[in-house]
Amino acid sequence: MFAYPFLWMISATLKPEIEIGEIGLWSSNFSLRSYKDVISKIPIGRALLNSLFVSSSVTFFVIIFGSIVGYALSRLRFFGRDFIFGVILFTMVIPFQITLIPMYILMVKFGWVDTYLSLIVPGMISTFGILLFRQFFRDIPQALVDAAKIDGCNDFQILFRIIWPLSKPVIITVGILSFMGSWNDVLWPLIVIRVQKLMTMPQLVTIFKVGGQAEGQLGAQLAAATLLAIPIILIYAFFQRYFIESMATSGLKG
Amino acid sequence: MATITLKNINKSFDNIHLVINKFDLEINDGEFMVLVGPSGCGKSTLLRMIAGLEIPTTGEIWISDTLVNPVPPKDRNIAMVFQNYALYPHMSVFDNLAFGLKLRKVPKSEIVKRVHKAADILEIKDLLDRKPKQLSGGQSQRVALGRAIVRDPKVFLFDEPLSNLDAKLRVHMRAEIKKLHRQLGTTMIYVTHDQVEAMTIGDRIVILNDGVIQQVGTPLEVYQNPANRFVASFIGSPPMNFLEGKIENGSLLAEKVSINLSEAKNIHKLEGENVIFGIRPENIHLTEDGLELPVVINEPLGNETFLHLQAGQQILIARIPALESIQLGDRVRVSFDLSKACFFSSKTEDRLFFT
Ligand SMILES: Nc1ncnc2c1ncn2[C@@H]1O[C@H](COP(=O)(O)OP(=O)(O)O)[C@@H](O)[C@H]1O
Ligand SMILES: [Mg+2]
Repeated sequence: MFAYPFLWMISATLKPEIEIGEIGLWSSNFSLRSYKDVISKIPIGRALLNSLFVSSSVTFFVIIFGSIVGYALSRLRFFGRDFIFGVILFTMVIPFQITLIPMYILMVKFGWVDTYLSLIVPGMISTFGILLFRQFFRDIPQALVDAAKIDGCNDFQILFRIIWPLSKPVIITVGILSFMGSWNDVLWPLIVIRVQKLMTMPQLVTIFKVGGQAEGQLGAQLAAATLLAIPIILIYAFFQRYFIESMATSGLKG
Repeated sequence: MATITLKNINKSFDNIHLVINKFDLEINDGEFMVLVGPSGCGKSTLLRMIAGLEIPTTGEIWISDTLVNPVPPKDRNIAMVFQNYALYPHMSVFDNLAFGLKLRKVPKSEIVKRVHKAADILEIKDLLDRKPKQLSGGQSQRVALGRAIVRDPKVFLFDEPLSNLDAKLRVHMRAEIKKLHRQLGTTMIYVTHDQVEAMTIGDRIVILNDGVIQQVGTPLEVYQNPANRFVASFIGSPPMNFLEGKIENGSLLAEKVSINLSEAKNIHKLEGENVIFGIRPENIHLTEDGLELPVVINEPLGNETFLHLQAGQQILIARIPALESIQLGDRVRVSFDLSKACFFSSKTEDRLFFT
């Protein structure tokens, strides 16, 4: 049942325009015309690459920085640690609409508008990621960290050679969440990117739909939306299997 | 080869309560030193300070002639074995042993050689390809020992390494560790809360309570000549019997019982004082004409029997040969071997006439 709307959408993208209104899934006139329309009208391939690049970069940095900060907050003792943690928690409750304008002004000042930097840098630190990493790292037995210190590890080696291999579930969780978050973001790219060749896929598709280029063709709009959803579904499907696996196998001995 | 010197160590986590209090100790080269005390008394904290995992609030830690306070754990040339083994779950046994050597950039052929030598000593050669999850408790502990010895450290630190093993395996591994010490001749510091383990394994024992050293000595010294009531009650099982009372005319007047102590050494010096009289179970003997006491519990162990005797309001435990046929509720006559008796101050609980 829950798959029906999705199947309907796919079938609609394959039907000629006049048949889309029908409720049935099957049509004898299936063709790829809508897709051809989309591809010919907007640079959707380029946008796909942009999106992949931006979302992968964001995910990469969220994991790196998030785990470093999470490690510091959970394992290092330094002055003001709990205060810093409190500040980080607090930033989570500020709605993003409040930071949107100051952030845009910052991008203008840095001269980052219409560059990849404006898409990647603001997303590199995720408080949610930090929180998840910190929580997970706290449950790793202190003796493992101690043993690693005596064996000769510095803090980075402890993080990347001991803690990371034991933290696959949380790394994958944070990875999926930040990739999807970055992939689905439309508002921020609309604000900072105006040249078409740097646009992300959801941004381009949105502009295509509401900006008139689709000329009211429902088939083309749906085809664009389908193209938008496919990568994320593939990624999710792949990692979800791995995610469940790593949950099952990472059983730490106290 | 290394000596360890701890000078006036204090440690506090909250700047209010001292977890380790004015700790002074010298550990000789090649010595097997055991740190024993009840849970929470600061044993692990002390060991972790020697390892460099905690910093003393004040005081100095010397390893041989280096002041190691500013030296990080990896440069102290120590190895540590943990209660929960702390094996890296994602590495094979071989990699667990080799990890410290790899980080120190030891050549590969040398690593293989050393790991195999350690595996030989500990008889874990067959386990080298396994992951820690596939090991039993005893095997895990051997691997943890192996990880310590491959590095050929100057000092071994053990933090309750046998607490997670079942009783039989514990006795076995205890002997193995003792053997390892003889084989390597390295200085070892061993923490445990189990006084039997401390007595059987250590060259010397430090008894710690509430962060304060109670006594340092060989197992026999601390057993026969305890410095205070805490040591007397902590070392030995069943523990020493204590009766508190006033000395009058050479007798101890305790609650509802009076014991003639006129034969005890120095007893005249205690005349009129409140003291705690201490006597070990094996120094209470059955006699024809001693103090008559009822038997409340009779515990035959086969080779010997523990008799719980009602002495006024208190219970005295006597350890007697197994052959005696004694029933519950019988009244028996006992005498005390007063040459082995101890007296403690009622106020401070320190041993009186302690030398
Ligand atoms: N990292 C820490 N922070 C705060 N208190 C601690 C810490 N480690 C140990 N303590 C406290 O120090 C005391 C001694 O602990 P510990 O050395 O682990 O005792 P033991 O090993 O003898 O059982 C305990 O009261 C414990 O709560
Ligand atoms: Mg402890």
